Amino acid sequence: MSLKPTIGMETHVELDTESKMFCSCKVVETDEPNISLCPTCLGLPGALPVPNKKAIEYIVMLSLGANCSITKEGMFHRKNYFYPDLPKNYQISQFDFPVGVEGSLEIVIEDNLHTVAIERVHMEEDTGKSIHLGSGRIDSATSTLLDFNRSGVPLVEVVTKPIISSAKMAVAYIEELRQLVIDLGISKGKLEKGNLRFDANISVAEEGSDELGVKVEIKNMNSLKSLEKAIDYEILRQTKMVQDKESIIQETRHWDENKQVTLSMRTKEGSADYRYFSDPDLPNMVINDEFIEISQNQIKETPEKKRKTLLDTGLSLSDSNYLDKGQRWLYELYLSTVKETGDCKSTFNFLTGELQGQMRKAEISELPQWVNSEKLASLINLFENNEISFTSAKDILAKLLIEDIDPKSFASDNNLIQSSDNDEIKALVTLVINENQDIVERLENPEDKLVGFLVGQVMKSSESKVNPGSVKEVLLKELFG
Amino acid sequence: MNRNIPSISKLNNLFLDKELKPSELFEQVYENASFTESILHAHLELFHDEGLENSKKSDERFLKGESLGKLDGIPIAIKDNINVYGYKTTCSSKMLSNYVSPYDATVIGMLKETGSTFTGKTNLDEFAMGSSTENSAYGPTKNPWNPDYVPGGSSGGSAAVVSAGSAVASLGSDTGGSIRQPASFCGVVGFKPTYGTVSRFGLIAFASSLDQIGPITNTVDDARIIFDNIQGYDPKDATSIKPQYTEPKNKKLKIGIIKELMQEGVSEDSQNEVNKVTQLLENSGHEVLETSLPLTEMALSVYYLIAPAECSANLSRFDGVRFGLREPASGSYEMMNKTRAVGFGEEVKKRILLGTYALSAGYFDEYYGRALKVRSKIISDFQKAFDDFDFLISPTTPSPAFKFGEKTENPLEMYLSDLCTIPANLAGLPAISIPTGLSDNNMPLSIQLMGKPCSDYSLLDLAESIEDMVSFNHLPKITKGDNES
Repeated sequence: MSLKPTIGMETHVELDTESKMFCSCKVVETDEPNISLCPTCLGLPGALPVPNKKAIEYIVMLSLGANCSITKEGMFHRKNYFYPDLPKNYQISQFDFPVGVEGSLEIVIEDNLHTVAIERVHMEEDTGKSIHLGSGRIDSATSTLLDFNRSGVPLVEVVTKPIISSAKMAVAYIEELRQLVIDLGISKGKLEKGNLRFDANISVAEEGSDELGVKVEIKNMNSLKSLEKAIDYEILRQTKMVQDKESIIQETRHWDENKQVTLSMRTKEGSADYRYFSDPDLPNMVINDEFIEISQNQIKETPEKKRKTLLDTGLSLSDSNYLDKGQRWLYELYLSTVKETGDCKSTFNFLTGELQGQMRKAEISELPQWVNSEKLASLINLFENNEISFTSAKDILAKLLIEDIDPKSFASDNNLIQSSDNDEIKALVTLVINENQDIVERLENPEDKLVGFLVGQVMKSSESKVNPGSVKEVLLKELFG
Repeated sequence: MNRNIPSISKLNNLFLDKELKPSELFEQVYENASFTESILHAHLELFHDEGLENSKKSDERFLKGESLGKLDGIPIAIKDNINVYGYKTTCSSKMLSNYVSPYDATVIGMLKETGSTFTGKTNLDEFAMGSSTENSAYGPTKNPWNPDYVPGGSSGGSAAVVSAGSAVASLGSDTGGSIRQPASFCGVVGFKPTYGTVSRFGLIAFASSLDQIGPITNTVDDARIIFDNIQGYDPKDATSIKPQYTEPKNKKLKIGIIKELMQEGVSEDSQNEVNKVTQLLENSGHEVLETSLPLTEMALSVYYLIAPAECSANLSRFDGVRFGLREPASGSYEMMNKTRAVGFGEEVKKRILLGTYALSAGYFDEYYGRALKVRSKIISDFQKAFDDFDFLISPTTPSPAFKFGEKTENPLEMYLSDLCTIPANLAGLPAISIPTGLSDNNMPLSIQLMGKPCSDYSLLDLAESIEDMVSFNHLPKITKGDNES
């Protein structure tokens, strides 16, 4: 019996608005608890919610970016459940009329393009934060501390259809979604800050079966590494259970980072009854064509568009995706540099390999302002045209990162330009042959490893100022005719 | 004690003519309040010192000729489910016995601008759930006309203080009749404005889609003045509207008598008042015809699904975590459970359970979902009726005030006392109750007028002309009741 896993993702995205979703309190990023509060986000008696227009604009942008259709007359619902950090003991959310429906995101795995179908994109408010002292869990805590700074921060939930088939694919999907919210400018997209938090619904079923297996939800992860490990672990666990003819129960689990396993949190008997009903404090959310157009016009960039631009320069899909998901400046630098070099692969390799490597080593996160595409292109061209050695290119780059130099004049001023002058090379080659007669006698064919040794000797005697390619050419001609 | 309080306009003239000072008026109503409080228990708190201080500021303004308008120096009582900064807002619940509001409701902020003075917070049925104030955790309010009788509810305290002369006017809230029914039982004017014209921000919600703040006053003109000063769009309330008030097309009005509220279940006394007023209206040239709104009979059932459903969520925030009562316990959930078990009274618990049930999976469509559908039919029925009629008339209540305990054993009987008032809440209509006569046992009787949305001012005009025609000028003689002796 062959089993296939099916995964659906639910992702909460914290929007980067100035103020909270239903009041004018500032959204703050601080460890100091309870400093941005008002009667509304604290759920005091008599306080009322008023929707944040910017947040609605952002969710429309996200829905459009995820190729969804927009619900013209949406509704806010109350999702009822008791929890100490949920001030009203209901969360304002959306139920049967979410803002975005039926969308899709393109994702890249290695050199292949896949599509992930999006079921819905809806708006809600975040809860406060609980710190359960003593045990970390509400039911066994000695006491619980509450911080309501996060209470009422606008959240968007993006839900996929159950069509993801592996942990890798889930990771690629989150990377794409994260890049989308960053490129749209609607969220900081920092995973470590919990700007994106995801739940994975996982089931396994027999290959070829139309029905899905019993689903298990792994809740509240915010790292891609945990996501990948948790899904892989869960697929294995469920597969083993099916093979051992054990029945899987529908439940919520969490990923235990220390033990590297998923652990049961609670068992769901049927689905939880949140008693959703339309919030009488909030009129219907009317999103007209004009509002959609305004939101559409705010969209300057999406990862999908960026990837197309990169593919058009000749890069492979996986290289395009690498730059797409990288830092914005690198993407822009690549595009302007490749325009001047005309060589996508070497530009990509130099920028992502050498440049990023040296910056990491030198611990600089931002390029000095004099380092522009013109200088980098000229440097790339120098070694691509064999005018300087790769070692020299690396040295020049290192210099360029600390000093405003012109790579070309620096190369010639410092005698780094390699000679392709055949007479000079011939003289050096003759000298080396004469000095190494014992080796020359042992040579059997042009592929002999000792050829490389002799080329090295020529380079050494020239102090690396000649082009190694030309040296080899002349040497072989001398030796084998 | 001088129970005979002039109208707001007259008081304003007395202030302007320096014949009376606001602080003198304040002391007079405070004296009335102190004198009657032991009998009526209409207040949960009296604001003597700050009230007097405020009214003295009014004195100075009048002295300098800088008065802020008609409400300057007018003592107003506030129902204790409306937040006043720095004062307790208890909703007559144990749950909020220690709760001090850190902010003003929008209407309170607006009234403060007018220079009016707050006399205190008035008693109500817990969380505005009830029709008699018997559900107050702090004991019931008595009817000034006869303390053996209930003052109505839930704004029983607000109606009683106006009737007793302990304030010139008061604010109440009306979810299914909670302003009009007690106003009717206490022989004063009660006005529920169009839904959305007066901000709900700062009113502790019972049922958000039905709740509306409004005035309880001695005269229709007083109600108009208060309404004028508290109405208007509020950016803090998403259901608030920018009203465009309407006028009827002709001076000669067409008024409909709602047939379904003039039949069995409504006392002869109450029906007679409507007939009496009909006669007067016809005499002054208006056309009055019977009309049928068949779904009116469904209104009570619809209301008792929608209001509890909304309240079940609205009252979830009372959990002991951030404010109010907290019962000690060993864990968070146990604390919340205990707090809610101890903090809420029986009627509140009953409605939370009812609403939770109506919203539960498997029952939603049958109960809450169906109630919403009927509600929208009721709204369209009213729209059709207002194509034919400028206003609708009915009794305010099926019978005059009843005695304490009379209906506590039978909740359905109690719920029926809101039969005539609930439809206006379901449809968001403006409605007013004005006293028109006395029953055989000397308890006040009233009629109710309803108008289309945003006809508030013309509704008040019609009510005022009826007020002139019936000239109801009886006052309660406040004495201890039989049960007290």
